[in-house]
Amino acid sequence: MAWQSRREFLKWTAATGSTMALAPLGIPAAEETKPLDMVIVRHKAGQGGPVEDNAAVDQMARVMVEKAIEAMGGMGRFVNKGDVVWIKPNIAWDRRPEQAANTNPVLVATLTKLCLGAGAKKVKVGDRPCNEAKKTYPRSGIEAAVREAGGEIVYLDMNRFKDYEVGGKRLRKWPLYPEIIESDLVINVPIVKHHNIPQATLCMKNYMGVAGGKRAQWHQDLATCLADITAFMKPRLSVLDATRIMTRNGPTGGSLADVKRMDTVAAGTDVVALDAFGAELLGHKPEDIKTVTAGQQAGLGQMDYRKLALREIDVT
Amino acid sequence: MTSKRLGKIVVWVRRVVQGLSLALFFWLFWAARFYDEGEPGRLIDLFFDLDPLVLAATWLAAHAVPAAALLALITLGLTLVFGRVFCGWVCPLGTIHHFATWLGHVMRRPRPKPQPYSRWQNAKYYLLVGLLIMALFGAHWIGVFDPISLLYRATATALYPAVQYAVEGGATAVYQADPHIGPLHLTAVTEPVYRFSRDHVFVTDRQVFTGGTLIGLLFAAIVVLNLYRRRFWCRYVCPLGGLLGWLSQRQMLRLVNAPNPCKECGRCAISCPAGASPEQPGQWRPSECFGCWNCVTSCDFDALAFKFASPFRALSNAKVDLGKRATLAAGAGGIAGLLLLRVGPQAQGRTYNPALIRPPGAREEREFLKRCLQCGLCMKVCPTNGLHPTGLDAGLEGLWTPKLVPRIGYCEYNCNLCGQVCPTEAIEPLAIEKKQEVKIGLATIDTTRCLPWAYGRECIVCEEHCPLSPKAIYFQTKEIQNRDGARVVVKQPYVDPDLCTGCGICEAKCVFRDRPAIRVTSANETRHPDNQPILPALEGK
Repeated sequence: MAWQSRREFLKWTAATGSTMALAPLGIPAAEETKPLDMVIVRHKAGQGGPVEDNAAVDQMARVMVEKAIEAMGGMGRFVNKGDVVWIKPNIAWDRRPEQAANTNPVLVATLTKLCLGAGAKKVKVGDRPCNEAKKTYPRSGIEAAVREAGGEIVYLDMNRFKDYEVGGKRLRKWPLYPEIIESDLVINVPIVKHHNIPQATLCMKNYMGVAGGKRAQWHQDLATCLADITAFMKPRLSVLDATRIMTRNGPTGGSLADVKRMDTVAAGTDVVALDAFGAELLGHKPEDIKTVTAGQQAGLGQMDYRKLALREIDVT
Repeated sequence: MTSKRLGKIVVWVRRVVQGLSLALFFWLFWAARFYDEGEPGRLIDLFFDLDPLVLAATWLAAHAVPAAALLALITLGLTLVFGRVFCGWVCPLGTIHHFATWLGHVMRRPRPKPQPYSRWQNAKYYLLVGLLIMALFGAHWIGVFDPISLLYRATATALYPAVQYAVEGGATAVYQADPHIGPLHLTAVTEPVYRFSRDHVFVTDRQVFTGGTLIGLLFAAIVVLNLYRRRFWCRYVCPLGGLLGWLSQRQMLRLVNAPNPCKECGRCAISCPAGASPEQPGQWRPSECFGCWNCVTSCDFDALAFKFASPFRALSNAKVDLGKRATLAAGAGGIAGLLLLRVGPQAQGRTYNPALIRPPGAREEREFLKRCLQCGLCMKVCPTNGLHPTGLDAGLEGLWTPKLVPRIGYCEYNCNLCGQVCPTEAIEPLAIEKKQEVKIGLATIDTTRCLPWAYGRECIVCEEHCPLSPKAIYFQTKEIQNRDGARVVVKQPYVDPDLCTGCGICEAKCVFRDRPAIRVTSANETRHPDNQPILPALEGK
């Protein structure tokens, strides 16, 4: 188990310490108090339903993400009172929610509420999209859902990227968005999609949205570049949206025939594990996905996610 | 009430109306942009719809106008009663000239002499005749000179981008340099101002325009000319002024010497910006007069007043005297100009310019040029900054008409805004599903630059961004040997010409910024069967 931050380690020791103290009194050490690395929630009721049934998918997305975060130990494990949280969904494309090119809006809104409930001072949501932000933000449904949930929608300002020392193998210095980097917590919330360079676009790929500059260059060695940016971002919580996944013609799609209902949400601290799981949803072996293996080699996580403290939850 | 006092009231009302009209023009300009929900609506075309020159020329050229353009009949009606009040009270370009003239008048010492009527003021009528003859034969060059088009184009491609660049570029320079004394950062002042202007004043992203510099310079030149002759543009050049002047020959509201006789002091001549001869009793020229009432307020002897009269009573000096020969010469000039514009191979459809990628919904080139006002409204609203004024890409005839420059911005798949806002429907207002079927060009891969083809590296950013499903860009996996002898697998992109619509996002996103390795040309555009190299797809594909 890799501790993602000192704060989590302290919280964990406090929790286990208290259980150990209770053990002599005959109270069994609760397994649950050991924080999980990853949670997979599947909604059995809806699987195989029509992809365009937004009401059903949205409702399940809300339930699943709440269950996932609860099982991970609650949002309080990651958010401290007064924190500024940045939620980084995929809002890259001028597509509607049912086209599954962007993260499910209700999932993002639910995370926003959970963060605010855990005492976050401010929850900001934003991405550097591929189509024009003024098109993708509203059409994805994320703008309206987040505003309603009390979050702040941020349109990234192309004039306000700043060079950071990323210190990676490929990315030594790169313009990133200061408002994201300076947040107390960044929650990475990608959607599972087909893509022809890494075969699958998942958590690590989603970090491209914090980068400015000519990030199209990254495709020339995507695995290394994504390992570099992921290492710099020090992931602490990621939520993988697999309510609907895009199985072909990614990452843009456009046809509902490209979309498949999965009714699944995974959350975790380990982006490599989550990406391995996402790759499997798309029918790949994790070891065939270069970004996943590069992430493992760079020590960013464990691609054999079953070795981690994992819980799988079925909702009916 | 004396005439002078009444005149002062009228002049103040006129100034307020002018200010409101100019403000409305800029507000409608500002409002012409992409909206999250709904469209900007036809109202943003208001000034074009009120412009009878747009109505006349479009009718002559295309024999069809959008219904809203009939609003121009209101302007015509007002002109028949009040004369060129559109020029003096409403026209936003006229107001800018009026202000520049006033500024020149008060700033200069000694005060300028009267600038009486000159025969050269007939130039605008000759220009009007030439342009209308050209329009009759299908060349819509009206937009180059029409005051509404001219001001819109200059604002969209030069003035607004320059102001936004100054504010945002300046604030960004401060942000990056971050000058500070101890804990006091200059950005503490500049950043809130910057954010406010970005979110509430400019709202849209900064735009750049090819050729915007020249358009801005020409605009500056016609403003500066007011220092040489008051309202130079309106007096000598403006073809809309010519049209309205011609219609004012029997206007009902007329300047008369009443109640007192003229003492020939000449003060009114100094105040007249139009060269309408108010100082010559009985010789006032209604076709030149803007109805500004400056002369009435300047007269200390109560010898000038506007009075209504029957339109059937002709005025002694009212007739616009152009001369038959000169008028014929102007018409012949229009025809000669038209023929000269048409001798190029492109004008006759013998060749097609690969760089002339028209916005989706643009009509067949000849029909398009019969309507396009070169106003720049489509360029202003394009959410990707993809539309730009042509230089000579469409020949001189198509000067400043819109073209897509994919290196700067692409045609957004889910957007049909350019067609929604076009005042003359030169770009048809297609429903979004229809627009998505329109091909505006075809992408070509330059295998001498494309990374997987020429340099043995992974890339396919073009494929990633292609918005179609299935994608128009596909690839073949090739195993190649790099210089170290190692085997490398790359994905080499191809374009499927049956699917590609020429939207240009591939070119816009290509890693090469100087000359992208995938480029869109006008080939295969739906509007020109002759420019389609590709056999139509099989039925059902």
